[in-house]
Amino acid sequence: MSRTFVDMARGRLPLSNLEKDLYPSYGFTKANILEYYRGIAPFILPHLKDRALTLKRYPEGVEQDFFFEKRCPMHRPAWVKTAEVPQDDGDKIRFCLVNDLETLIWVENLASLELHVPLARAGSPWTPDSMVFDLDPGDPANILDCARVALILRDLLSRMGLASYIKTSGQKGLHVFVPLNRKDTTFEDTKTFSKAVAGIMQKHYPALVTAKMAKQERIGKVFINWSQNDASKTMICVYSLRAREKPFVSFPVEWKELEDLAGLGDPERLQVVHSEAVRRAEEKGDLFREVLVKEQKLPHL
Amino acid sequence: MAVQGIWSGTISFSLVAIPVRLVKAIEPRGVSFHLLHSKDYSRLSRKMFCPEENTMVPPDEIVRGYEILPDKYILMTDEELESVSPERSRTIEIVEFIDTKDVDPIYYDHPYYLVPSKGGEKAYQLLVEVMRRTNKAGLAKFVMAEREYLVAVFSRDGALALTTLHYSDEILPDEDMSPKKGKIGAEEESRMKKSIEQMIEDFNPGKYADERRKKLVDLLATKAKEKALVEAPAVEEEEGEGPADLVAALEESMRKVKAR
Repeated sequence: MSRTFVDMARGRLPLSNLEKDLYPSYGFTKANILEYYRGIAPFILPHLKDRALTLKRYPEGVEQDFFFEKRCPMHRPAWVKTAEVPQDDGDKIRFCLVNDLETLIWVENLASLELHVPLARAGSPWTPDSMVFDLDPGDPANILDCARVALILRDLLSRMGLASYIKTSGQKGLHVFVPLNRKDTTFEDTKTFSKAVAGIMQKHYPALVTAKMAKQERIGKVFINWSQNDASKTMICVYSLRAREKPFVSFPVEWKELEDLAGLGDPERLQVVHSEAVRRAEEKGDLFREVLVKEQKLPHL
Repeated sequence: MAVQGIWSGTISFSLVAIPVRLVKAIEPRGVSFHLLHSKDYSRLSRKMFCPEENTMVPPDEIVRGYEILPDKYILMTDEELESVSPERSRTIEIVEFIDTKDVDPIYYDHPYYLVPSKGGEKAYQLLVEVMRRTNKAGLAKFVMAEREYLVAVFSRDGALALTTLHYSDEILPDEDMSPKKGKIGAEEESRMKKSIEQMIEDFNPGKYADERRKKLVDLLATKAKEKALVEAPAVEEEEGEGPADLVAALEESMRKVKAR
């Protein structure tokens, strides 16, 4: 195992296997991954802050086995912040909190290519600060169908007085976020609301949309997964890399841009790869910033 | 691929400090089952239940109590528990060396291997060799996962092995187990010795396997081939669209969206 050291504000951090190619069919080494996260850090860190991180580690690269790790590894440096979060079964798990660049680099050195976080902060695990619609296309539907559904969803939510924001999942789908940022919101609220929205969408666009999880219901349709609105679920963090053949990023898109891209008919155009992600974020700023601050109340609950 | 370490730090005594990683020495191979609901094969989950209120209890309403008298508890918070937990530590501190043969096997708990980390190989080898030649084991204390363990470090097949030990107050006394001492006749003794001698073999645990596990794995393989698998339902799908007010408002909004 090769070892390098990087000097950071908190001291020297040992990095291992920097030359290892973790995206072999594309060619993207651990050093490239660390470089990506260092570049995107100013944008991703506010979205990771104080959220219980689930690591999804690919020690042998994206084509080999991965494993989820909820418990913050015991061999963590002393400065890594952690938080105990109660689980459904009554147990508590101590998670890592990625609140600074050093922790982000340390976590990436563990080959945790994908960063998954809950919709609530660790200090208030039952208060979602946003509601999410996870749009997942069932073959042969694709990301363009997701875009169509997302645009209808945006209009519907907007009529209900709710602003929404969209990002690519970095895989095949899209994620629509509705910022809430109110102390009195519960997951029961977000689940009830999102489920009702998904039901209405399915009712009015039965050929395009399903709100049902069952696999056979999803063929050729976009599944609006409302059940992600749960304290025990996590979402891929905006700006996180995904472990696919190419280092695609879960990346925020402007609605206008989505309208344009949806009209072009090329699903690939909706994917954002690492280098483009850093460039676009630096150019446009954090398009997901409002998700962290905008206060909205779910009506009619 | 390098073995995944459970813990890394140094093993140290006197002026010696050797960087090591702790790795698993055993992998239990039991076959485990999930509990399913026989009606629809969905995975069952555990919930905490309050028999008094006849209701499920959410995690934020659960506290810890130590039962000191029947139905009388001392409450203990996370912070209080944390305050008595040992400091996380990066060292396996050998406090004494003992004769390997003096370690009573009843104290053995869980075995691990210690692997040298970069730069520690030479000192590691030296310690392995000297401990082997002198038949000594190191008795050490170390902290892992918020617990302090008493451990024995052995030289084994050219490497270091570490076994966590039970604390002596965990070992139950055997005084009531052994029968009263009686006279042993010389003839009886020699007969039993002979029986034992006839059965003496080298220790070769590889000869034995968990027969039940083997049969179970075979049975699973056969069933997987012959029988259709049962499938868990894809989460709950109960109908019902939501609160009437909300549904009406959504319908109204949807009408406007479509009319555009």
